[in-house]
Amino acid sequence: MATATTEIGAASYAVPETTPAPKRDYPGALVVVEGIDGSGKSTQLYLLKRWLEIGGYRLHFTEWNSSPLVKSATRRGKQRRLLTPTTFSLLHAADFADRCERQILPLLQGGYLVLADRYVYTAFARDAARGCSPHWLRNLYSFAPVPDITFYFRAPLDVAVNRIVAGRPKLKYYEAGMDLGISLDRAESFRIFQERILSNYDQMVQTDRFVLMDGTMRVNQLQKQMRRIVTERVNLEPFAPKKTPKKK
Amino acid sequence: MKRTKKAGAEAISPNGGSRGRVEGNASAKNENKNGKNGRAPASARFYGTPLPGVNPDELSGSLIVVEGTDGSGRSTQISLLTEWLESEGFAVETMGLRRSFLVGEDIDALLAENSVTRTTLALMYGTDFFDQLERRILPALRSGLIVLADRYIFTLIARAAVRGIGRDYLHGVYEIALRPELTFWLNVRPEVAFDREFKKSQTISYWESGRDMSLSNDLFQSFIRYQSMIKREFEYLSKRHGFIELDGEGSVPQVNRELRQRIASHLGIRRTQYKPSHALAHLWR
Repeated sequence: MATATTEIGAASYAVPETTPAPKRDYPGALVVVEGIDGSGKSTQLYLLKRWLEIGGYRLHFTEWNSSPLVKSATRRGKQRRLLTPTTFSLLHAADFADRCERQILPLLQGGYLVLADRYVYTAFARDAARGCSPHWLRNLYSFAPVPDITFYFRAPLDVAVNRIVAGRPKLKYYEAGMDLGISLDRAESFRIFQERILSNYDQMVQTDRFVLMDGTMRVNQLQKQMRRIVTERVNLEPFAPKKTPKKK
Repeated sequence: MKRTKKAGAEAISPNGGSRGRVEGNASAKNENKNGKNGRAPASARFYGTPLPGVNPDELSGSLIVVEGTDGSGRSTQISLLTEWLESEGFAVETMGLRRSFLVGEDIDALLAENSVTRTTLALMYGTDFFDQLERRILPALRSGLIVLADRYIFTLIARAAVRGIGRDYLHGVYEIALRPELTFWLNVRPEVAFDREFKKSQTISYWESGRDMSLSNDLFQSFIRYQSMIKREFEYLSKRHGFIELDGEGSVPQVNRELRQRIASHLGIRRTQYKPSHALAHLWR
């Protein structure tokens, strides 16, 4: 993870290994959920979104890997198994850049509360597990605005893996990390791959100020906790409906 | 392609010592000629950390890059050099922009729509570049081929940099790329490039004239301003990366002779005589 300083590894910049406090040069706010598959993060973000929607807040929800722009390339690459760790990572970065430049940034500038199901940390954890250099990944995504809150939903590996394996007929090739050649057995490969990702996430709790959430808690209790933290950390007033200003 | 479990960091070759040429076409004639600068030690073959899963020691071929703006004569020179090298017994592979199987066509589609934003486009070009590098170029270099690159990371960096993406960011993206053994820059003035491009296609394309940048509504002005900006980026890159700058405004045979001489001395080829075959004779003017 050393800061390479070759003539191309740029002497003049050092990619921070720790993300600095959010830079707020826009009126919007960004709330992010992260965690391995099966950690419960999407359910929780959905419930948070419903709560805010029902309250009439100005918000926008965005998902990882949802831009139509690079879909054909991703599909082609995955179907034919052409993706290397580097092209896998770059393609997802291109996709994220499209969403960032055309949705997230304009919305933050326009004063929206943006909720993101997975963010750059997904790439840091997953692509590093594939063998990409963490330093290179940090630079690759350095155009992304830093979230106001990053919720990290942590569930024990077994719990998370069982939730996924039970609910899905067949694990996909890249999803299971089969490209890494860890194991010929998909379920086993998936498990080992998720274990590496989990460990990469754990390392970011400190460096990236994750708010740790216990994914084994009951859904409604966890949601209560999440709503409380959002209320404490983000001033929701600017996003609230005009006539009824919320507390704080 | 199956990858080993090797993490990126472990793939860095720790040895900085000299290494001899591995077998392959290029090696036989090369032994004494080049001495110290025949090629960089394996650990310096990449700008930074090598691509994950790549062992620099296996790359016995040579990567030679020809850079230059539109209308600088690059592609013509690459065709001629390919023929010359093949006639000398070297196997040649080429690469260029938007030629990857993975995303080449997708980029064409993005350019046609021109609703794409700058970072996205830069990263799509990056994907295109690394797809070619990993799946076509590295295997060729492992087999000892000569790779002629019709543009390389430098054009990609220059184009994105003039659109306001940080140079350091771009250098960071490409630090896992392979460092060329030779990089030629065919330098031409924008006005000359304009004449040549116009002659070739009777018009000037949207992207070649940087019209996405709102430089001017006048197509000629836009082209000149855009190409001048690119040229300034190249001047900077040339210093940073030690380009061999050639006068791209010279005649095709002149430029080709200079290229052959440089490449011959690098690869240890004694004979630099070359006359294009009938098939390529139309380029020789």
